[in-house]
Amino acid sequence: MIEIDEKDLIRCPVCNAVNIKKGKNNHCRRCQSSIYKHTKFRTEKSWAYLITAMIAYIPANLYPMLITNQFGHQEGSTILGGVILLWEHGSYPIAMVIFFASIMIPILKFMILIYLLISVKYPLGKDKKINKHKLFYLTELIGPWSMIDVFVVAILAGLIHMANIQILAGTASTAFALSVFFTLLSAHAFDEQLIQEHNRG
Amino acid sequence: MKIENEYDLDKIVICPKCFTLHKETPIKDGTKALCTHCSSVLYRYDSNLAKNGLALSITALIFLVLANMFPIVSIDILGHEQYLNITKTFLTLFDSGFLIVGFFVMFLIFVFPFMITILYMILFALLYFRVGKSLSKDLLILISHIEPWSMAEIFLVSILVALVKLIGYAQIHMGVSFWALIAYVILDIYITKSIKISEIWMLRNRVYDK
Repeated sequence: MIEIDEKDLIRCPVCNAVNIKKGKNNHCRRCQSSIYKHTKFRTEKSWAYLITAMIAYIPANLYPMLITNQFGHQEGSTILGGVILLWEHGSYPIAMVIFFASIMIPILKFMILIYLLISVKYPLGKDKKINKHKLFYLTELIGPWSMIDVFVVAILAGLIHMANIQILAGTASTAFALSVFFTLLSAHAFDEQLIQEHNRG
Repeated sequence: MKIENEYDLDKIVICPKCFTLHKETPIKDGTKALCTHCSSVLYRYDSNLAKNGLALSITALIFLVLANMFPIVSIDILGHEQYLNITKTFLTLFDSGFLIVGFFVMFLIFVFPFMITILYMILFALLYFRVGKSLSKDLLILISHIEPWSMAEIFLVSILVALVKLIGYAQIHMGVSFWALIAYVILDIYITKSIKISEIWMLRNRVYDK
């Protein structure tokens, strides 16, 4: 017979098994993967990925995402430029999709992650009006959808490469893909236990 | 709270969305248990899970192979016919020197979807024939690591967005692979999102304990 506190129960991030928290060297009893073993650097890894992602997001917005090569005349368009162009052409739904996927979701994700990372360390949002677990779940859910723009560029570049008219990927596509990748890593590195511990005391 | 040993922890479920604790209770075949706090699905009980899963993952693999064999779309610009298939999207990126984006696209829409589907197929086959206890565990762990990186459904939406951008400039013809890809994405969402990974762990416990 073991007596346990309900608050000492944690969920393995890999296999979702319920485990008893044992501090250091926490290994999942079912899949043996270590559960957030860094007890000293708990938020730093997530911060590092997040900052990398934010840095990569700057060139992603400044450089052209898509380069149209028409009869030797090259024209680049940035993410925001592309959205504005689509809006002016009257394709409002597509402009909205690109705007949400490439601008809203990344920024929203940065802000949620910054909020979560700060709030687990400093007394912020203690009122529990916002369920941080739900917030975190939301970031994991919407995160990958910002890849839409990168895929669209890849599709257009693969589809249109004729002698006279070509569409090429721009520098921003690399930066944007890296930004999304590091944001996803940052969310994966985030230690969900911290929310629990912070809510308690 | 008192428990006999650590294995009793399998009887406790933590809600994936809001982290509320729940005690697992036996439910009827074909029904699901909901979280009392946020009413998201905790787990379902399906006595045919291994059989259905095996059938669905084999079907998904067939559709994925079809989706990679034929053109997804072909377009007609000023008399020039161009077509696109899945491999061409990242091979063009490699050709024009975009190695990083090329690798991302290759893994996210080609390598990982294939891996996930094949892994699920093997896993359900093992569970169906009640063999390979430790292999099924390794497969489950591997699946949990790869699953967030398989983005076939996002690729499908991207195709639609790209095509809407081309309306007016070119004539668009959908290829066989486009429909195969839609079928694959529906099956993939069912297998990876609707069947929860914890349900398969529960199934694994039931299968090998007998």
